Amino acid sequence: MNRPGRRRSGWGTALTWAVLLIALAFFVLPVVWIGLMSFKSQGEVFTYPPVFWPKNINLRYFGAALHGIGGKALKDSAIVASSSTAIALAVSVPTAYSISRFRVGGKNLAMWILSIRMFPPIASAIPLFLLFQKFGMLDTYWALIIAYLTFNVPFIVWLVKGFFDDLPRDLEEAALVDGSSPWQAFVRIALPLAVPGIITSGLLAFMFAWNEFLLALFLTRSQVRTLPVGLSSLVGGHEILWGQIGALAMMAILPVIILAVVLQRYIVRGLTLGAVKG
Amino acid sequence: MPLARRRRPRPPLFAWLMVLPAVAVLLAVTIYPLIYSLRASFYRIELTFSTHWAWVGLDNYVRALTGDPRFWPAMYRSVQLVFFGVLIELVLGLGLALLLNRIARGRSVLTALLLIPVMMAPVVVATQGVVIFNVQFGPLNYLLSKLGVEGPIWLGDRAIALKTILLADVWQWTPFVAVIMLAGLKSLPSDLYEAAEVDGANAWQQFTSFTLPLLQPLIIVTVLLRAMDIFKVFDYVYVLTGGGPGDSTEVISFYTYLQGLQFFSFGYAAALSYLQLLLVSVFAAVLVRRMRKGLAT
Repeated sequence: MNRPGRRRSGWGTALTWAVLLIALAFFVLPVVWIGLMSFKSQGEVFTYPPVFWPKNINLRYFGAALHGIGGKALKDSAIVASSSTAIALAVSVPTAYSISRFRVGGKNLAMWILSIRMFPPIASAIPLFLLFQKFGMLDTYWALIIAYLTFNVPFIVWLVKGFFDDLPRDLEEAALVDGSSPWQAFVRIALPLAVPGIITSGLLAFMFAWNEFLLALFLTRSQVRTLPVGLSSLVGGHEILWGQIGALAMMAILPVIILAVVLQRYIVRGLTLGAVKG
Repeated sequence: MPLARRRRPRPPLFAWLMVLPAVAVLLAVTIYPLIYSLRASFYRIELTFSTHWAWVGLDNYVRALTGDPRFWPAMYRSVQLVFFGVLIELVLGLGLALLLNRIARGRSVLTALLLIPVMMAPVVVATQGVVIFNVQFGPLNYLLSKLGVEGPIWLGDRAIALKTILLADVWQWTPFVAVIMLAGLKSLPSDLYEAAEVDGANAWQQFTSFTLPLLQPLIIVTVLLRAMDIFKVFDYVYVLTGGGPGDSTEVISFYTYLQGLQFFSFGYAAALSYLQLLLVSVFAAVLVRRMRKGLAT
């Protein structure tokens, strides 16, 4: 239902745009403010009235953040998020295909997997803390990589299943008639067609892991420190280094802003677990 | 579902082998830990003193539900956040979607920009809040003072702080609701509206008699998704207020974290987390049932 051509006065359009631009300012200006803060000197941050534009574009806080906890945090976040996503993709994509094509486990298996995605993270954090402590795995990459499978495996299974559901089955059935094995039909025909959906799901899973905080807080200390944990420790520090906080926040935001642009069509589908196709 | 009706007697062994890895992973990383923590919830585990588990039966649950003066207030704060958060995000999101649906061009650029908050880590949103809400040099109160309003002490006032947490959530998730609603609006049949217009129905009548009822399934799914999500809110509280001032922002997930990682009472924390799991399961069951029926726009 898109009726731009309907009788609509110029005033109506102007008013719509005015409200939309105010909303846009409300939702975007805070991010711009933090971005600009990463270039400001400590003095400029503390000025009252606040200054919007920094006098000089000052990159030293990015350097300081990278040399401080930021560089390690960036690395740790990247390692944890990409490893967890890779493992989740490897185990989930065949499952998604099998559920989509063969209805393995009826609807119960699919729904069981979907419901796991909805667990409150605190319910996983407490037992995982006790278990990883028992096995001496607290504060390791593996602790977080494993912990993030709890939400990314169900997420990828469910979302990629939706993408397989959308694919026509004729090609695979033709291949089966021609004597391919089901595995060959999956790898040679269905998998390549589903690549866009698989990449989308993987990127969103990466984002969930990249943004995750509660499990990282429970399961890591000093050896491993992801960006959200690093950022929260800077904010809670004794001397608050605003420039570095801004720089670190930007490092955390930039990848997901790029994702927002690249994945725009699929974000809604991903974040509603496929309930809304968008 | 024409696919399901085709002859497909029973899945081949090969199909079962394909689901095996994911099912094994999920059993190992979710079901086993959940059983483990169910067991832990029947013990007193005070890691500050020792690693000994002392059997206490249902004591942890009884303590939470009847004896702990911090449990129900924390629960109540979470429920307040859920109620007002869902309500405000739904109203504002739907309004925003209606406006976005009216414009002829620039919609995809606007939507992409509006989705930035949705993609951000909640910790980054909260960090941003620390700066924006700062009463000495923060831009928000400066802006309000320019408008002749004296800004509140966003994070330091017992009567305000929980509302500030709510504001953070509304800021981050209203665009998400808006984009869902926009997807719903675009799928509505336009001939219905044209007919209504011929019959002389005004915009409000069209909204209440077509738009709202037709969007209802979508609205229900959105409410459930947001409710579950807001109930889990933790990151904003941890970064913005630490549960304070006093206990005014101590929501249930944060209180559970305190019992676990601050007081190291892991038996009790496990019981608390189970109570939350039960509550979320109710929402999840309704949502899963809806999605099973296959809601798609």
